[in-house]
Amino acid sequence: MRERRLRLADRLRIERAVQRVDWVLDGRVPIAKRRQVRNELRSNLVEAAQEVGAEKAIQQLGDLRALAVSYLELYRGRFDFQAGAIAAVITYAALQVLGLALILAFHAGVAAGGAHSGTYSLQFWSGFGPFSISVSADGRQFSMLLLSPAHLVLMAVAFAIGSSYRTVFARRSH
Amino acid sequence: MAENGAHDSQMLKGVLSLALLRLLAERESYGYELVTQLHELGLTEIQDGSVYPALGRLERDGHVTSRLVASSSGAARKYYRPSRSGYAELAHIEVAWQSLVGALKPILARPVPAKPKEALP
Repeated sequence: MRERRLRLADRLRIERAVQRVDWVLDGRVPIAKRRQVRNELRSNLVEAAQEVGAEKAIQQLGDLRALAVSYLELYRGRFDFQAGAIAAVITYAALQVLGLALILAFHAGVAAGGAHSGTYSLQFWSGFGPFSISVSADGRQFSMLLLSPAHLVLMAVAFAIGSSYRTVFARRSH
Repeated sequence: MAENGAHDSQMLKGVLSLALLRLLAERESYGYELVTQLHELGLTEIQDGSVYPALGRLERDGHVTSRLVASSSGAARKYYRPSRSGYAELAHIEVAWQSLVGALKPILARPVPAKPKEALP
C-alpha cells in the first residue's frame, strides 16, 4: 500500500488520541510504563495513519476509553493518585458545605435568641479548624475558614485512603 | 466463521493470544503489522485497540519479549517475539484449541433437527 505523508493536522490528531488514553493512566500507572504505552501507541498510530489516514487509524483503535481501561488494568500501579486527588477535593467541598450549613444553623440560633446587632462567632478547636464561623445578627455578613490545618489533615487522610484503597481492597480480596 | 462472514468478537478475544503467539512464532513483528496480518487472514473484526493491550498482556506474563527498532516513520517500533515460556504457552493453547475443536466437531456435524426431542418422563 502507498504510504501517505502525514500533515501537521494528522500528527496533532494522533497526539490528541494518545493524550486521551494517557489521561486515564495519569497518576494510576507508573510514569515509565505510561511513557512506553504512549510511545508504542503513537508509533502504531503513525504506521496506521500512513496507510489509511489519521482519522481511520484512530477509528480502528475502537473506543479510546476502553483501550485506556485495558492498559490501566494491565499496568495499574500501587497507588491511584487521581482517585486520591478526587477524594481530597470531595473532602474539601464537603467541609465547606458543612461550614455553610453550620453558618445557616448558627444564624438561625442567633436570630431565635433575639439578637438584633453585633457579630457572633463559633469555633471548634480554635486555630486548628476546620470550622470557625462568625455571623452578624442581621445575617448580612458572615465568615468561615477557607483553609486550616484541619482542612489539610482531613484532605491528606482522604488522599491517602483514596489513592490506596484499591490496593488494600485487592489484597484483602485475594 | 458465521454465515455472513462475521466472527463472534467474544470468541475472537479468547483466541487472540493464540493467533498473536502463532504469528510471532513465524516472524518477529510489531503492533500495527500484527493487526494488518490478522485482517489479511480475514479477522477484520479485531480492532487495533484490542491487539495492543493483548501484546502488553503477553509481555507482562513473560510470553513475549520486545525490543525497540528505529523506523523511517519517526517513532521507534516495538518488535515482539515469543519467549521460551511463550512457545510453551503456544503449544498449550494449540492443544487446548484442537481438543475443543475435536470435541465440538461431532456435535456440529450432526444435522440440526426441526424440533428438539421431548424429554422422557
